[in-house]
Amino acid sequence: MKTKKNKLTVRNLKLWYGESEALHGIDLDIVSGKVTSLIGPSGCGKSTFLRCFNRMNDRIPNCRVEGEVLLEGHDIYAPDVDVVQLRSHVGMVFQKPNPFPKSIYENIAYAPRIHGMVDDGDDMDELVETALKRASIWDEVKDKLQQPGTALSGGQQQRLCIARTIAVQPDVILMDEPCSALDPIATAKIEELMDELKEDYTIVIVTHNMQQAARASDYTAYFYLGDLIEYGETQKVFTTPRDQRTEDYITGRFG
Amino acid sequence: MNQHTFKRFEDELNLLKSKTVSMGGLVEKAVRRSMKALMNYDQKRATKVIERDRAINALEVEIDEMTRSLLALRQPAASDLRLVIATIKIVTDLERCGDLAEGIAEYALKVHEHPHAHMDSLEVLSDRVLQQVKSALDAFTYDDVNAALQTIENDKRINKQYKAIERENLTYMLEDPRYISSGMMVAAISKNLERIGDHAVNISEMVIYKVKGHDVRHVDHATAERLVSGELDAE
Ligand SMILES: Nc1ncnc2c1ncn2[C@@H]1O[C@H](COP(=O)(O)OP(=O)(O)OP(=O)(O)O)[C@@H](O)[C@H]1O
Ligand SMILES: [Mg+2]
Repeated sequence: MKTKKNKLTVRNLKLWYGESEALHGIDLDIVSGKVTSLIGPSGCGKSTFLRCFNRMNDRIPNCRVEGEVLLEGHDIYAPDVDVVQLRSHVGMVFQKPNPFPKSIYENIAYAPRIHGMVDDGDDMDELVETALKRASIWDEVKDKLQQPGTALSGGQQQRLCIARTIAVQPDVILMDEPCSALDPIATAKIEELMDELKEDYTIVIVTHNMQQAARASDYTAYFYLGDLIEYGETQKVFTTPRDQRTEDYITGRFG
Repeated sequence: MNQHTFKRFEDELNLLKSKTVSMGGLVEKAVRRSMKALMNYDQKRATKVIERDRAINALEVEIDEMTRSLLALRQPAASDLRLVIATIKIVTDLERCGDLAEGIAEYALKVHEHPHAHMDSLEVLSDRVLQQVKSALDAFTYDDVNAALQTIENDKRINKQYKAIERENLTYMLEDPRYISSGMMVAAISKNLERIGDHAVNISEMVIYKVKGHDVRHVDHATAERLVSGELDAE
């Protein structure tokens, strides 16, 4: 058996929005270089959980986190952690494509410039090209890099956002329902892209599309009412789930 | 288990299972009646068995069509998926059993040409094989993994008995050349029965897959039992 390396380790993670506990003590390892999907009914805490990986919840008033989230062994909630730095390691792609109201080129160049990764000029040109190529959108935009990113189609915008995310060379890419606004062809392109990207990145995706979880992920975690009910290889979870609640959910028996 | 949120999907799965069960019923009947026709030199009954095989074949086609559309339109998962997969395989086994019964019925049409055939041991074998078919189908109907495991284990006895018949048959043929043609017939029929028994084993294995998700086709009985009890993790 191949040895699995864990990119992220979650231990007894609890999260409160004010008085209400939204995550009830989650233990989960996210395997390095794989796609992990988080599934479960609406309101079960998938997005909440996903946002814990890059401390996106910090922005929410009254939100409190307990427990541990380790990125390669380092506690990301430790007091000395620079959250901006953390988010360059753990990037995020959202449900609705949200390009900056700037040119396609600037969408990619913006963050690397801020992080001081490369200077403008040939190096930046190269970085932009590489990121767009990695996100399989280069051929479609190479002749219009100065046009606004918002002028692209939804599926192209989403790939642009993925390019923007990988431009800062993160370790982990978080995606919250990245395809819910896309047609099947654009969706297939994103799934194909995830498959290619996982060679270099660890991907965690929230999806409501069970077939997408089945097709595109290596591991699946099923959440229900703030608890992690089942976690395992996607192939196992979709053919022989261990827990009746998982079984009911993925076979479409919503009680 | 909860009901499907999509009622029609639930109905389709239930229909798939009940069709398969009724196909099993037809096959069981075909085996029983072909043997009865043989033992009673009853050509009329034999002809009926042969005619009714068409109904079995038609059910096979119908069930296959149902599984195809379920896969394409419903994308079943977990136990639903395993039911569909198991059904695809079980239906093939049942169809083969139907053909084998038909083969026995064909011999029943000609059995009067062999008035001195030694067929007593065939009757004993066919009782056992029928019991196997019945318990495999019951296991499928009631998701009974223990019955399925028992059926798989019982097949050893059938194989033993089949071998015994082969030896006995051979002695008859060696002793008296007049028994050669009837001996060939007995050999062929016992072979058919033994193969029906094998199909009952295949069906039982699919029942275990359907209920537990374990593939026990190529493991020994002890391992299969441990897998089914959850003592052993499949890996
Ligand atoms: N900013 C917030 N303030 C207060 N409660 C929140 C906040 N965000 C989420 N919640 C609550 O936390 C729980 C989990 O919500 P979350 O958005 O993580 O669910 P989800 O699984 O992503 O659902 P969906 O599939 O609908 O996106 C819900 O009960 C929700 O109402
Ligand atoms: Mg959400």
